[in-house]
Amino acid sequence: MNSTATAAPGGLIFRALRDNPRGKLILLGVFVFLVILPFILPNRFYVRLVNEIMIYALLAMSLDVLLGYTGLLSFMHNAYLGIGAYSTGLFLMHAWSGSVWLAMLAGVLCTMAVALPVGWVQVRTGGLAFALLTLAFGMMFFTVAWKWYPVTGGDDGLMGLPQPTLSLLGINLASSGNSTAMYLFTLGVVTVCFLFTWRVIHSPLGAVLEAIRENEERAAFVGINVRRYKLIGWMLACGLAGAAGSLYILYRGYTGPGVMGAFEGAGVLMMVLLGGMGSLWGPLVGAAIFIFMKDFLSSLTEDWEILVGIIVILLVLFLPRGVAGLPDLLRRTKAE
Amino acid sequence: MGWIATTVDIILNSLVLGGIFLIMGVGLNIIYGLNRVMNLAHGALYALGAYFGYTLVAVGANYFLALLLAPIVVGAVGLIIERVLISPMRKRHMIYTLILTYGLMFVIDGLIKLFWGQETRFIQLPEFMQHTVSVGPASYPVFRLVILIGIAAVVTALMLLLGRTRLGINMRAASSIPEMVSACGINVRRVQISAFVLGCILAGTAGMLAGPLFTVFALMGHDILISSFVVVVIGGLGSLRGAVLAALLVGFVQTLAEFFVTEMAMVMVYMLMALVLVFKPLGILGEGKFE
Amino acid sequence: MKRILVLSLSVALALAWGLPALAAAPVKIGVLVPLTGIVANGGMEMKNGIDMAAKDKKTLLGRPIQLVVEDTQVKPAVAVSKAEKLVFQEKSVALIGVFSSGVGLALAKNIAKLNVPFLTTHVMTTAFYGLNPLVFRSGQLANDQTAVGNVKGILATPDLKKRKYYVLVHDYAWGHDAGKRFIALAKENGIKVVNPDFDKAPIATKNWSTYISKIKASGADGIYIALITDVIPRFMKQATEFGLMKTCRLVSGAAPGAMDLENSGPAGVGIFGASDYAWDLENFPGYQKKAKDWNARYFKMYKAIPCDAAAHSYVGAMNLFQAIEKAGSTDPQKIAAALKGMSYDGPYGKVWICPSDNCMRNDAVLTETKVAPKNPYGAKIYMKVLKVFKAAELGPPCK
Repeated sequence: MNSTATAAPGGLIFRALRDNPRGKLILLGVFVFLVILPFILPNRFYVRLVNEIMIYALLAMSLDVLLGYTGLLSFMHNAYLGIGAYSTGLFLMHAWSGSVWLAMLAGVLCTMAVALPVGWVQVRTGGLAFALLTLAFGMMFFTVAWKWYPVTGGDDGLMGLPQPTLSLLGINLASSGNSTAMYLFTLGVVTVCFLFTWRVIHSPLGAVLEAIRENEERAAFVGINVRRYKLIGWMLACGLAGAAGSLYILYRGYTGPGVMGAFEGAGVLMMVLLGGMGSLWGPLVGAAIFIFMKDFLSSLTEDWEILVGIIVILLVLFLPRGVAGLPDLLRRTKAE
Repeated sequence: MGWIATTVDIILNSLVLGGIFLIMGVGLNIIYGLNRVMNLAHGALYALGAYFGYTLVAVGANYFLALLLAPIVVGAVGLIIERVLISPMRKRHMIYTLILTYGLMFVIDGLIKLFWGQETRFIQLPEFMQHTVSVGPASYPVFRLVILIGIAAVVTALMLLLGRTRLGINMRAASSIPEMVSACGINVRRVQISAFVLGCILAGTAGMLAGPLFTVFALMGHDILISSFVVVVIGGLGSLRGAVLAALLVGFVQTLAEFFVTEMAMVMVYMLMALVLVFKPLGILGEGKFE
Repeated sequence: MKRILVLSLSVALALAWGLPALAAAPVKIGVLVPLTGIVANGGMEMKNGIDMAAKDKKTLLGRPIQLVVEDTQVKPAVAVSKAEKLVFQEKSVALIGVFSSGVGLALAKNIAKLNVPFLTTHVMTTAFYGLNPLVFRSGQLANDQTAVGNVKGILATPDLKKRKYYVLVHDYAWGHDAGKRFIALAKENGIKVVNPDFDKAPIATKNWSTYISKIKASGADGIYIALITDVIPRFMKQATEFGLMKTCRLVSGAAPGAMDLENSGPAGVGIFGASDYAWDLENFPGYQKKAKDWNARYFKMYKAIPCDAAAHSYVGAMNLFQAIEKAGSTDPQKIAAALKGMSYDGPYGKVWICPSDNCMRNDAVLTETKVAPKNPYGAKIYMKVLKVFKAAELGPPCK
């Protein structure tokens, strides 16, 4: 752990470039590529698709904080995306649609407010029980969204959402209905979240979380308050998921209980595994693969589910560490 | 119709629903107890059992014959799955097999749609099962009573298998201390494979019992999977008695909730799960009591 | 390396701008139907009906018609995403289809961004009346029309008129709307309803035994259901098992799915309800010839029993195609203007889109499912036409 420097993203990039110039240059390249992407894509549909990928990438990354760094399994992390989306949506509809930032803040805070007592209960249990509890609470939140008709719109979801104006430093830029503007907004938020998480993970706090993942008892023995740090990891992951949810409803202009379902939860886990857990950037790639694959195949054939299933099985069997493990794998094959 | 008749109705309905959950839950737990695999394809195998049964009955087999044969075919499918997919993953963390079986669920569901199409199928029952019979003041479908008997038979057979046969005893031993069993010269791998196949057979049986009950259609495995998961989580992962208890509990809570608070029924079920786990984080009977 | 780059760039440019200019590009119509999920069968029938219309019409504006089909999975978010694909990527000039009021409403909310006309063949919610200048309905009867038809049917049938009804719906926009419409009309007309704040069952419900116990306990001897088409025979089957159908008659707010009904056997007999179309219309004076001709052609093309979902999807597509011809261009505003007041004389008579609320008016049938007589389609169970309603009888009046 080499991190004691400034918290500013600029300084971070500079320092990161110094530490690992090649890897970081690639990340910078990807960022620049993503910035110009909406201007070179042939049509708005792909802009929207990449936008959705970035949102799910953020969610998958937040799950990686939990799974890859803290060693805690959450079956239904998408439930917190849903809470973020619903609370942002309800804020825009009933409180104030004037500020997109305030709405996002409301979404993240609501998600964390819900996540705190849940996390408090969950960290009091062991690894497997923790995972099972995430399922129980996740299903509960899902059913609340699904059945609380007067507030959430039940199965039909939130209808009649206003489209707020995206603004930065008091300057109004464009409506969130504008694909390109929404895309760049999402990219900005996701990038800031990524850098923030990167910073946290490569700080002493991240080191503590990894120590807990590696050996909980030993961590406790050297005087780490395991429960407290687990809760911090949980809150970080849920806050990020809430941010992803806020972005989701701004981007989609709609949300229903579907995004919070159990099968979708397994889908998010899959993104993390496909990308490779414990790398932070792997899940971003995993999300891209999963969403693009689903969209592409479901347009290709009615029997797309079989193809998705087969690809998932093959990836799990033959790419055990996900895409993040690919460079390693290639190096080893070359060496042989 | 008086309240007594309604009460009898509710009790029998709860038992039927709980019984289906029971067979599913116990199957999941047998697989988990010995293989440490959370089989997300369990619901798809349940659907597969119902579809095999449907085809058998459609070509002229008796329902009871189909009830015996269809699960065996599902068991054979389970054997192939174990050998080809689960076996290579044995050393890896549980979440990998979780995602693997998630993919498998898509494949089996998709294949079902490919072969049998999307429309609802109805399993034709023998004439005598299509009527109702008086149970006290209530009139209840004969078929549902037959299912209750079927569930009881499955449970008895399982108890005998686990309690009296060599395979069952090996299973119970291997679930707690595999090294010891292995040291005794027993092939643990074979026991684990048998457990996986047995779990699949149970899924097929549940499907074949539930097929005529809820009708047969491509998505039938999805909700039953979530319900069975709720059951094993409440009962305790890998705990067979826990699954039995939890299945009956969920069956009753769901039926009562549907009757009295209709719209909020499923909320009640998940509240129950969260409540149990908050006080007993590993389920009612805790993890891994394989008996 | 550089040469390859230049080459691939120029190929990409050619693909982006060059190709569409080469041939008379087809007019693309985006078809949104559920091909997986709970109503996959209904989706297939919708697809068939629209496909048949495209084959009959052959060209639009002198260009070939190309249907681009996407699977909505009956999920609103998926449907909106697929609509974006159909419009932004495929350059579809209009959207047609869509099952489920929830999906339809989500799509309608996004229609300004998509900026193409959207004509639904299946959404039944009354919220669609005059919803948006680009949103149209030409297909299944709306909930208010169905309720009017059903109530008129109940009043005209002495055995149904004297019964007390238990109302059971699917828990989403359509079910709620259908339940409310029926209960309000029933109240006006003195039809007894035992549970005025009706039961709402989750769409995923498979086990109807508790609901059946509730109906038994309520003392009702009639049941009014608003359940998704493919589910109706499944509900009937369980109700029959419990002996409920011996004492109760069933009135349905939607026509049962054709294939599911066919598979249900004798348990599917006795579903009473108003809908657009039934193939039995070919035996009804005034409609005989057109219905018979359409049925025969549909059966020949798709090897499937002609059904209401296919019929009103066919007519809806024809209305859309005619509007595009009339507009003389693919401009969304012009097509929308042409759709107002458009009509098509199809297998169940004239289907006319009211210009003031963008929703269709048409004749409809009152049917009851029965064991079928010998018929060319090999159907074992069929919807027997009891009565035909004229469009004006069902309303609502077009201002």
